[in-house]
Amino acid sequence: MKVLLILLIISFSLTSSFSQKKDPDKILEDVKKTFNEVKDYVVDIDIKVDVDFLKVPDSKAKIYYKQPNKVHLESESFALLPKEGLDFSPLGLLEEKYTAIYEKEDTVDGNKTAVIKVIPLEDESNVVLTTLWIDEAKHIIRRVESTPKIGGTFSIELKYDKSGTKYPLPASMLFTFKVDKMELPKGISGEYNEKESKSKDKKRSTTGKVSVTYSNYKVNNGIPDSVFEEKKK
Amino acid sequence: MTDKIIEVSNLSKQFKEVKAVNNLSLNVFRGDVFGFLGPNGAGKSTTIRMLLSLISPTEGDIKIFGKPLKAKRNDILRKIGAIVEKPDFYGYLSAFKNLEILGKLSGTNTSKNKIMETLELVGLEKRFKSKVKTYSHGMKQRLGIAQALLHDPDLIILDEPTTGLDPQGMKEIRELILYLSKEKNKTIFLSSHILYEVELVANRMIILNKGTTQVEGYVEDLLNANELKVTFRVGDKEKALKLINENYWIKKLESQIEDRFVFNLAPEEISVLNKYFVQNDIPVNAVVPMRSLEEYFLKLTDKEA
Amino acid sequence: MIKIINIELYKIFKKWRTYIGFIAIAVLVPIIQVAMLIEGEQSLDFMTRNLQQSFIFVGNLLNGYLISYLILNALTIHIPFLVALVAGDLLAGEATAGTYRLLITRPVSRFKLVTSKFFAGIIYTNLLVLWLAILSLGLGIIIFSVGELIVIKTSTVIIFARGDVFWRFILAYGFAALSMSVVASLAFLFSALVENAIGPIVSTMAVIIVFVIISAIEINIFEAIQPYLFTSYMASWRLFFDDPIDFAEIAKSCLILAGHVLFFFGLAAYIFKRKDILT
Repeated sequence: MKVLLILLIISFSLTSSFSQKKDPDKILEDVKKTFNEVKDYVVDIDIKVDVDFLKVPDSKAKIYYKQPNKVHLESESFALLPKEGLDFSPLGLLEEKYTAIYEKEDTVDGNKTAVIKVIPLEDESNVVLTTLWIDEAKHIIRRVESTPKIGGTFSIELKYDKSGTKYPLPASMLFTFKVDKMELPKGISGEYNEKESKSKDKKRSTTGKVSVTYSNYKVNNGIPDSVFEEKKK
Repeated sequence: MTDKIIEVSNLSKQFKEVKAVNNLSLNVFRGDVFGFLGPNGAGKSTTIRMLLSLISPTEGDIKIFGKPLKAKRNDILRKIGAIVEKPDFYGYLSAFKNLEILGKLSGTNTSKNKIMETLELVGLEKRFKSKVKTYSHGMKQRLGIAQALLHDPDLIILDEPTTGLDPQGMKEIRELILYLSKEKNKTIFLSSHILYEVELVANRMIILNKGTTQVEGYVEDLLNANELKVTFRVGDKEKALKLINENYWIKKLESQIEDRFVFNLAPEEISVLNKYFVQNDIPVNAVVPMRSLEEYFLKLTDKEA
Repeated sequence: MIKIINIELYKIFKKWRTYIGFIAIAVLVPIIQVAMLIEGEQSLDFMTRNLQQSFIFVGNLLNGYLISYLILNALTIHIPFLVALVAGDLLAGEATAGTYRLLITRPVSRFKLVTSKFFAGIIYTNLLVLWLAILSLGLGIIIFSVGELIVIKTSTVIIFARGDVFWRFILAYGFAALSMSVVASLAFLFSALVENAIGPIVSTMAVIIVFVIISAIEINIFEAIQPYLFTSYMASWRLFFDDPIDFAEIAKSCLILAGHVLFFFGLAAYIFKRKDILT
C-alpha cells in the first residue's frame, strides 16, 4: 500500500518536476535554519477542544520545548492535546531521511506559500506522507497535512500574527483531525445501563478540532533537561 | 356523665376461620374492679385488643367513657392504661427511657420525678438505668404496670397481669389493684383465667367462653351463692344410699358414683349431714365442698387443658 | 408529629443495626479508596487507553471526584441493602418485639404513627447517603485532592473542569437520596405487611436485584418493561454528569421516583391503618 502510494506520488512529481524551478530541500533547509534559532522555549497555551465524543473544558497549560525534540506539557489542571499537535517544530520530521517534492504554489491566509510533500523513507516512521505549506519569505510553516500510519489524517494551521516574539513561533494553531469514534469496553466505565448512547448518531468517524493559542513565549532562556525527564501522567 | 365506663354491645370478631368473639355485650361501671374471666382461647385477649383499638371489630359497638371508640379513639386512649398479654418493651432502651417515650406519646408529664415515682410504685427504681432486655419476666411485668399507670389513667386494663409471677409477685399485684381501686378510684378491667385471682379483687365479673358471656354478675352473688356442691366419700355406700333415700337429704343429692355422693348444700348444712352420717355409723372419709361456679369454671378450663 | 418523629429517630439510633449501614460505608469507602491509591493509576490507564492513542494529556485525573464517582456507581446495589435493613424493621420490628401493643395503644392516630416512622426512615436513609457523600468526597479529596472529573461513557468521554464538578455531586447525591428513599419506602411497605423484620429486608433486596438484572440485560422483552421498573430510574443521577445536562429526563426520573415513594408509603399507611395487631 505504502509502496503504491509512494510510486503514485513519485510519478506525479516526475511529470511536474521538470517544470518546477524550486528546490524543496532548499526550502525545508531554510525552515530548519530559521527554526534552529529557537534552542528552547516555554510558552503558555490556551486549549479549546471541539470533538464530538470528547468533551473537555477549555484549559491552560505550559509547553516546554528543547532541541531537538524534547517536549513537555505541564498544567495545573487537566490539559489535553493531540499527540501530533504538541510539537509543531519541523525538526523532528525533518531529522529522519525523507524525500521532499515540490508540488505547487498556494496561498494560505493571503500569504504565498510553497506546497511541499515530505515522504519519510524510514520504515519506523509513523507518518506516511506529510504536506507542508511553507512561507518562503519568512521560512515558516503555515499549514501541515499529515497522514499517519495509524489513525486518520490531520491538518495543522499555524498563525503567526501577534505571537509577541521575534522568533518563528506561532500565535495560534488549529488542529483538525478525522477520527474513528472511540469504542470503549463496557464495564470499564462502570455504566451498566447507559441508554443515551443508543439514540445518538451512529456514524463511525468524525472530525475534531483543537485550537491552541500561544502566549508569553520565553525563548532561549535555557531549560534544564530534568524538566523533560519527569514522567508524564 | 355516664357511669358506664365501658359499654360493649353485640361485639363480634371473625378471624378467617374462627369466631374469636361472638356477640359479646358487657358493661363496666365507674369504680368497678371488673373480672374478665375465661379459659385460654375464650376470646379475652381479642376483646381487650378491640377495647384498645389494636384490632377492629367485625360487628358491634364499643363505647368507653361514653364515647364511641372508633370516632374518639385518641381521647379515650389518653385516659386508659393497659397491659396487653406479655409485657414487651424496647429491650435496647432502659426502663426509664421506655417510660419516657411512652409517656410522651401519651401526652403526659414525663419529668424525671414523675417517672421515678412510678418506677418506685412498682419497685423498679433501682434498676431504672438498666436496659429492659436484662430484666426478668417479673420485672417486665412490673414495668408493664408502671407504663399503664404513668399517665394517670381513669381506666386500667390489665390482661393477665400475674402471668409468670411468683406467689409473692402475684400478691403484690393484687394489693396494687386494690390500692388503685380503693385509694385512687380507678376503674379496673382485669382479665384472668384464674377464678381465685378474680375472686380476691373483683367486685363484678363475667365468665367468657367461646367468645361469649356464660355467667355475669357481682362476684359476691356468684361465688357466695347459698348452695355449694359438696362431695362426701363414705365407707358404706349401700347403707348411706338407703339411709338418705328415706329422708330430706335425697332431695339434695345431685349425683352418686361409687362412694362419692355429691350434694347441693347450704354451707351450714354440711356439718349437719356429716353428723347424720356419723350418727348412723356410716364412716365419712372425706368432705369436699366446691362452689358451683368454681366447678363450672374448672370444667371449662379442663376442657381447655 | 415532630415529637413522634424525634422519638422514632431516637429509637432508630439506639439500635445497633442502624449503625451497620454507617459502619459498612465507613469501611467500604476507605477500602475502595486505598485500592484506588494502589491500583488507580493502572485502571485509569486502562480506562483511557483509547484516548492515549491520539492524545497526550496531563493533570490529576485520579482525584477525589473520580473516586467518588466510581464509588457512587459501585454502591448503588449495596446501599439499598443497608437502607432496607433499617426501613424494613421500622414496623415489622415492633411487631416482632411485641411493642406494637405499647405503641398503638397510645393516644396517637395510627396515621400519625406510620407517617412519623416513615419520615424517620427517610431521614435515616438521607443521613446514610449524606454519610456516603461526606466519606467518599471528603476522604477522597483529602487523599487524592481535587481535579477534573473524567467520565467515560460508551461512546463519549467527558472531562469536567474541577470547578464544574462539586455541584454535580451535590445534585447526584440528592438524587441518590431520592432513589434510596424509594428503596426505603418499598421496605417500609413490606414492613407494614408482615410481623418479622427479615421478610421485608429479603423481599426488598429480591425486588431490587431482580429489577436491576432485568434493567441491565439488553433483550427486547426486558427492554420493553424497563420503563416500568423504578430501578431503571435510580441510576439517573448519572445524568448530572453529562454535558449538556438533560434536565427534562432528570425531572421525569425524579417525578417517577417520588411517585413511587408516595405510592409505597400510601399503601403502607393504608395497610397499617387497617391492620389487626395480633402480635
